[in-house]
Amino acid sequence: MVGPSSSHTAGACRLSRVARALLEEDPVEARFELHSAFAKTMRGHGTDRALVAGALGMEVDDARLKDALDIAKAQGFLYALKPKNMGPEAHPNSVAIHLKGRTRSISILGASIGGGMIEIREVDGFPVSLSAKDPCLLLFYEDRPGMVMRASEIIGRRGVNIASMEVLRRGKGEQAFMRIDLDAPLPPDDVAALKQMPGVHRVHVLDRVAGGAPIT
Amino acid sequence: MALNSFAELLQAASTTGLPLDAIFLAEESGERELSTDRIFQTFLERWAVMKDSVRRGLAGGKSFSGLVGGDAKKVMDFTREGDIAGGRLVAKCIAYSIAVLEENSRMGIIVAAPTAGAAGMVPGTLLALAEERGFDDAFTTRGLVVAGGFGALVAAKAELSGAAGGCQAEQGVGAAMAAGALAFLLGGTPAMSVHAAALTLQNTLGLACDPVAGLVEVPCVVRNGFTAMLAVTGAQTALAGVESVIPMDEVVEAMVKIGEAMPRSLKETADGGLAMTPTGCRIRNDLYQIR
Repeated sequence: MVGPSSSHTAGACRLSRVARALLEEDPVEARFELHSAFAKTMRGHGTDRALVAGALGMEVDDARLKDALDIAKAQGFLYALKPKNMGPEAHPNSVAIHLKGRTRSISILGASIGGGMIEIREVDGFPVSLSAKDPCLLLFYEDRPGMVMRASEIIGRRGVNIASMEVLRRGKGEQAFMRIDLDAPLPPDDVAALKQMPGVHRVHVLDRVAGGAPIT
Repeated sequence: MALNSFAELLQAASTTGLPLDAIFLAEESGERELSTDRIFQTFLERWAVMKDSVRRGLAGGKSFSGLVGGDAKKVMDFTREGDIAGGRLVAKCIAYSIAVLEENSRMGIIVAAPTAGAAGMVPGTLLALAEERGFDDAFTTRGLVVAGGFGALVAAKAELSGAAGGCQAEQGVGAAMAAGALAFLLGGTPAMSVHAAALTLQNTLGLACDPVAGLVEVPCVVRNGFTAMLAVTGAQTALAGVESVIPMDEVVEAMVKIGEAMPRSLKETADGGLAMTPTGCRIRNDLYQIR
C-alpha cells in the first residue's frame, strides 16, 4: 500500500472504491463528509488524496495516489471535503461519500476500522453491514413474496454458495434490500438473470473491491 | 481464520506437532480455497516489497511535511562494534524499522504490519536477523507467516487502529507480531513465540496515539525503532524461558479495554499529548498556515 496510514489512507481509498463500484460509471463529482479522527488528521494522513484516488478508481498500492488531487483537477473531476460531526456513537473514522456520475448518483456511509479494513454501514440510506472483502451482491427490489427464494435459486443453480445474507425493507410492500455474500463471484449470466427478475430495481456486484490490492 | 485464539493455536500446535507457520498456512488455505504453496508465494511477494521498503527508506529523503527523514541512515552510519547496541544486529533492527516508516512518511509503497504507522518492526527486525544470521528468503518468510498469523488472531478480537485503540493497537501489536516471529525463527517452541508476543504487547499497553500535526511522523517514525527493541527483548526473554503470567488472549482483551477507556484526544485525533505541546501546536500551525 501507499503510506502513511492503513486506516486513514488505504481504508479511505477502499471506501471510495466501493462507492465507485456501486455507481457503476465514472464519477464526475464527489462530496465527502468526514467525522472525528478522519477529519482531524485528514491532510496529514493523506485521507483527502486517498478518498479522491479511490473515487478515480485507483488501488491502494497505486503510486499515483499521492498526486490524486492534482490528477482530479487535471481531469476536471470536482470534489469537496468537509468535516461533519456524526455524533458520539459514530465510529471515529467515519465518512459519508456522495458520488455523482453522468446518469446516476450514490451515497454511502462507511468506516475505516483499522489495518485497511472497512465497513460500509449505509447504502443510499439503507443500514447495511458490508466489508466488501469477499464477492457480494446488493439487490434493491420491491418487497413481495418469493424474492429471496427466486434470487437464491438463480445464485445456486451453478453451484455458487451463499456465505451469509441480510434482508431489509422500508415497509411492507415498499422498497427492500438484500445483501448476499458469496463464496465465489457470480457468473455474468446469472447477474443478468437477477436483474431481470420481476420487481428487482437494481443489482450491484461488488467483487472483492476492498480485498484486491494488498495492504499486508 | 477458523482459529479464534492463541490458546486454540497452541492447542493445535500440540495436537498436530506442526510448526506455527504450517498451522497458519493450512488455516488460510482452507479459508481461501487456495493451495498452501500459493499462499506462501503471496507471503514471499510481500517479503520482497518489505525488503525494498527498507532499502528505499535508508536511501533517504524528507517526509510529507519535512519533519522527518534521514534518521535511519544516521543510526546505520553511527553503528560500530562495542557501541551500546552491541553491534550490527540490534542497530539494524532499530535502523531498518525506522527506515520503513520514513518511506511511509513520503507516501512510498510499504506493507502494513499490521498498520502503516506500525509497518516498521516486522520487516525491520526480520531483515536484520536474516542478514546477520544468513537466513534465506524462504526461511525468513516462514517467520513472516507467523507474524501475519499472530496479527490476524489479534485483529479477530481488537480493532487495529490508533483511532479505536491508541498506539498500543498499532505499534504494540506490530511489535508483538515481530517478537513471535523472531522467537520462531530462532528455534523457539510455539509456546515461546506466544509468550514473546504477550510479553511485548503487555509492555506497550496504554500507549497513546498523539501524532503531531496529524501526520504519521512524530512520534511514529522513530517509535518504530523503539518498539522494535521491545520485540527483540520479548523474543530474547521468551527464548530464555521467561513466561508471560497473563496469557496472550487476556493481554489482547486488556488492550481492547484500555483502548475503550482512553480519551478520544489520545486516539489519532491530534487533540492531545505530543500533538498539543507548544512545539507540536507550532508545527501544526506553520504547516497548515493556521493563525
